[in-house]
Amino acid sequence: MDNTEVDVLIVGAGVAGLSCARALVAAGKSVRVLDRARGVGGRCATRRVDGQPVDHGVAFLHGDDPEFLELLGAVPSARVDGWPVVIEGAGTACQPRAFQAHEQRVAYVDGVNAFARFLAHDLDVRLETNVTRVVSAGSTLAVEAQQAGVDNRFSARDVVLALAGPQTLGLLNALPASPQRDGACALLAMLPSVACLTVIAAYAPEDAPHWHMVYPESSQVLQLIAHDSSKRVSPKHTLLVLQARPAWSQTHLHDDSGDWAAEILRDAARVVGPWAGHPLSHQAHRWSHARVGPESELAGPLVLHVNDGCRVGLVGELFAPGGGVQAAWRSGQMLARRLRSEVEP
Amino acid sequence: MSEDKARLQAIVERDATHECAGFGAQKLCVRAVAVADLPTRFGDFRIVAFWNNRDGKEHVAIVHGDVVDHEDVPMRIHSECLTGDALGSVRCDCRDQLEAALTRLGEAERGLVLYLRQEGRGIGLLNKIRAYSLQDGGLDTVDANLALGFRDDERDYAIAAHMLTSLQVRSVRLMTNNPNKLRQLEGYGVKVNGRVPHLIAPNEHNRFYLETKGKRSGHYIDFKGRTRLPEQDDTVQVEGMPDVADVSS
Repeated sequence: MDNTEVDVLIVGAGVAGLSCARALVAAGKSVRVLDRARGVGGRCATRRVDGQPVDHGVAFLHGDDPEFLELLGAVPSARVDGWPVVIEGAGTACQPRAFQAHEQRVAYVDGVNAFARFLAHDLDVRLETNVTRVVSAGSTLAVEAQQAGVDNRFSARDVVLALAGPQTLGLLNALPASPQRDGACALLAMLPSVACLTVIAAYAPEDAPHWHMVYPESSQVLQLIAHDSSKRVSPKHTLLVLQARPAWSQTHLHDDSGDWAAEILRDAARVVGPWAGHPLSHQAHRWSHARVGPESELAGPLVLHVNDGCRVGLVGELFAPGGGVQAAWRSGQMLARRLRSEVEP
Repeated sequence: MSEDKARLQAIVERDATHECAGFGAQKLCVRAVAVADLPTRFGDFRIVAFWNNRDGKEHVAIVHGDVVDHEDVPMRIHSECLTGDALGSVRCDCRDQLEAALTRLGEAERGLVLYLRQEGRGIGLLNKIRAYSLQDGGLDTVDANLALGFRDDERDYAIAAHMLTSLQVRSVRLMTNNPNKLRQLEGYGVKVNGRVPHLIAPNEHNRFYLETKGKRSGHYIDFKGRTRLPEQDDTVQVEGMPDVADVSS
């Protein structure tokens, strides 16, 4: 395994990490991205159910930043512009701003993960690499990771943590104490993330509802029901993605997934009709850190100066205003600019 | 209606259908929406309210005298600060800076303040209070930028430049202690004919600036031992301090 030192190691191959990596590579830096998952994208996630893509994290992408929108247009997958168009229910979306007039909404026939794969193209990404510690090692930073149960160690002068807030907090704790590190830890401790229990449910093709999305108004359980197969071209199955509300998800986060999935399906039956309570098959996914609350957005990424000019940068949805995938992308762009401007004033 | 107000009114009418390619990477576009008299304790002004295509922030220009089609208009950019501007907090210098600018411009033949509704330099009120809370918790040496998050100033200058263009101000003299700000505005096509140092009068709350020992690791520590967060996008200059223009970022 090639562990040669690079300029920047990025922990987390979600949109924030990939965005930062691309901007740094474009500026001539050597960059390596590490992620514990089997694929890139983080919460910009697409699974396959019997070969059919299903977006079980972010349901669609939206934004208003011209650069971001241009990038969305460059993804090599057929787009589903404006999705969701047919919306039922008067409940609130996870990000109400997605439905403001100046925002554009996009989904992809191949799933939203196509955007992350597009960003990752030609980058040095090491998957199934679970970073356990970031420590100061003289003139560099050492990133300790496990790959298939084997310990590995990477090093770089700059490390970017592109993770959910609580995960970032965990890694910062191993760095030497300093006012900057302590400040960042105290700040992150003020900014909780929101959990989301998710069920992917498959139904017969003839059960396809006419709507793309339901935001239930009266449910204490469900935040949204996405008619995922309405994003696909001639789908084999009708697939719904059922995502639970933050408070309910938090309460049941450590319960048995069979129990909470059954309760989510019961609520879906109540909200959209009895048919929804009896899928042909279903699977559960637990997002422990699904998103940041609208009250928890910071203005921009953070940079901690560790030792001998080594830096730890923090990016992610939390570290740019507006929330969502666009905020994650922007935080990565902003941090790349800042890392470069500090070196090349 | 006086001639100068009529000129501002004409700009509002013209802007009703204004559309342009936008300023900066964000393609930011603003429209002057309404103008009214604004007599203040610092002099007689007019206030011009702007809409923008990026967010719900309602920026304003506070105009004194006739600025439309004029050269060398003295100008100050101020970021909204609820705690300082409105509540008189002394955790920052925002109120002092705003008062100094309005007083000075109110006495001049003409001038304007672009009052940008971006609390705490755009970090938002919630995050500013979070930063205060971190300081209250004993993290008084925490790097201010760290507590607040880093933000791009690019958008501010794009907004400011477009507002100046909308008001048909031909050239400005920028009230700032940071020469870099001139270049940033010029980057958006604003003609800047020099800098006017922005001095605020010494008072019991800002006197520590005059004591060099108050400066520690690049940050000013106030009498209560707290770092002053850089809430305005500019360095403070209290009358009697050596000119900070050469050392500012």
